[in-house]
Amino acid sequence: MSIIEVRGLSKTFSTKENTVEALRDIDLDIEAGDIYGIIGMSGAGKSTLVRCLNYLETPTQGTVVVEGNDLGKLTDKQLRDLRSSIGMIFQSFNLLMQRTVIDNVCFPLIIHGTGRAEARKKAMTLLETVGLSDKAAAYPAQLSGGQRQRVAIARALACDPKILLCDEATSALDPQTTQSILDLLRTINRDTGITIVIITHQMSVVREICNHVAIVENGSIVEKGLVEDIFTHPKSRAARQLIIEGKDPDEWESAQDAPAKADAHTVPILHEDRKIRIVFSSNSSFEPVIANMILTFHEPVNILKADTKDVNGVARGEMILGLPGDRELQDRMIAHLKERGLAVEEVE
Amino acid sequence: MWSHEVIMMIVEGIRDTLYMVLVSTICGYILGLPWGVVLAVTDKDGIRPNQGVYSVLSFITNIMRSIPFLILLILIIPFTRMIVGRSYGSTATIVPLTISAAPFIARMVESSLKEVDHGVIEAAQSMGASIMQIILKVLLVEARVSLISGATITLGTILGYSAMAGTVGGGGLGDIAIRYGYYRYQADIMVVTVILLVVLVQIFQFIGTLIGTKLDKRHA
Repeated sequence: MSIIEVRGLSKTFSTKENTVEALRDIDLDIEAGDIYGIIGMSGAGKSTLVRCLNYLETPTQGTVVVEGNDLGKLTDKQLRDLRSSIGMIFQSFNLLMQRTVIDNVCFPLIIHGTGRAEARKKAMTLLETVGLSDKAAAYPAQLSGGQRQRVAIARALACDPKILLCDEATSALDPQTTQSILDLLRTINRDTGITIVIITHQMSVVREICNHVAIVENGSIVEKGLVEDIFTHPKSRAARQLIIEGKDPDEWESAQDAPAKADAHTVPILHEDRKIRIVFSSNSSFEPVIANMILTFHEPVNILKADTKDVNGVARGEMILGLPGDRELQDRMIAHLKERGLAVEEVE
Repeated sequence: MWSHEVIMMIVEGIRDTLYMVLVSTICGYILGLPWGVVLAVTDKDGIRPNQGVYSVLSFITNIMRSIPFLILLILIIPFTRMIVGRSYGSTATIVPLTISAAPFIARMVESSLKEVDHGVIEAAQSMGASIMQIILKVLLVEARVSLISGATITLGTILGYSAMAGTVGGGGLGDIAIRYGYYRYQADIMVVTVILLVVLVQIFQFIGTLIGTKLDKRHA
């Protein structure tokens, strides 16, 4: 059984003037030990969705079952107790600014009745895990953004939760700090088997750390599955935009409105050329495929986009190539690439 | 003119004023702090919204805040007499001062608590904190600088009210200023009491700011 099961979840916000349907008929299964990404543009409803997973938001319809507990059927007290097994971190860290780092980490322990001495001992261990044991007596205002998020992670882990919810946890951080936070999350996932749910608008975050992903658009999940599969064969429009065109979800709308601007993302080349997208998988990434192909056919190809990366210890990536004019040569090149275990598809 | 008696009278005036102001502020907070907490918690953006409770409480607060202090002072004389046994002197003045300070304090506390970052409250909720724990361990702690600054303002306001109570025999520096300065045309004594009132406000403000700065950990 999945650690988190969401069935038919809808959430409507109503004001006097109008009602907004933030989420529509969401089904989601998250397995224990997963790092599950939920990606979508701002306003897609992903933040509301993650808040339904610990009932910070009560769904209008549908059920959320966490570790076999139907959250809608719990009493206030039971829900609060269950929340100690669901940690959460936020974009703006949300630390208690008037308390020291160690008191922040102790906070969830104290509210669940742990003694002060024991809580401090536990908090020190957690601060060591996140690499901040020397900052125990500092106040959050004295720390950098990345350090604050580390404190927030230590705090979220204080009650040994089974699940960690991350709401845009890296969106306020620079790329290097984002990387170090993601590394930390991966380490914690590996060492403790904690299930991590990551809400983000950055595809790079999903590719970097998640094994499953759900793509949210306008309050619905338009595509979900293994990151690898969706990355190799994106089906929905949102996924294709996200992966092939490499756009951040924030740009989706504007890209639709202004196609001219979208073209600026790809280098214009000779019009008669065919463009293909190739996806590298583990077996081919150590071979200089493109270089070998050029040497084999004595014809140049144009690399329109290239993005390769080490994901979970396996090199993975994609390229978009512009092939030379000769139709027959193009087909031979495609066959050559397919022979080497690459997924090839034509793109516009 | 500056006889021993006059000096003693002014010293006693300072003592009475401090006594009235500090005791009224403490009593005012005993009533006004929980009152303000309930206002902040039950408001529509609060942690336990309850429109009924909020509307009633807010209405009562507004009514009480809109009665001018001097009128309230006279209006509740029977009540004051019931509680302290008489209606004049500094102890008797504490009753109307407290009653007029409490709704003022309630609004101060409400606005201080509403300044607390909603994200921090949400974080506490996500950890499973109860309403009481959020109030005691998050709201009151995170808002402490603003609460202290509110208390400083309250002290200054109550000091002003206490001087007003002097017109009806309330005791303290205000009483002296009225009796000597107004009824007996001894302007010099009035000026001295006014200067002393100004000095007291300055001292309250200084101490309040000092504590506030000391407690504020929001800056690096």
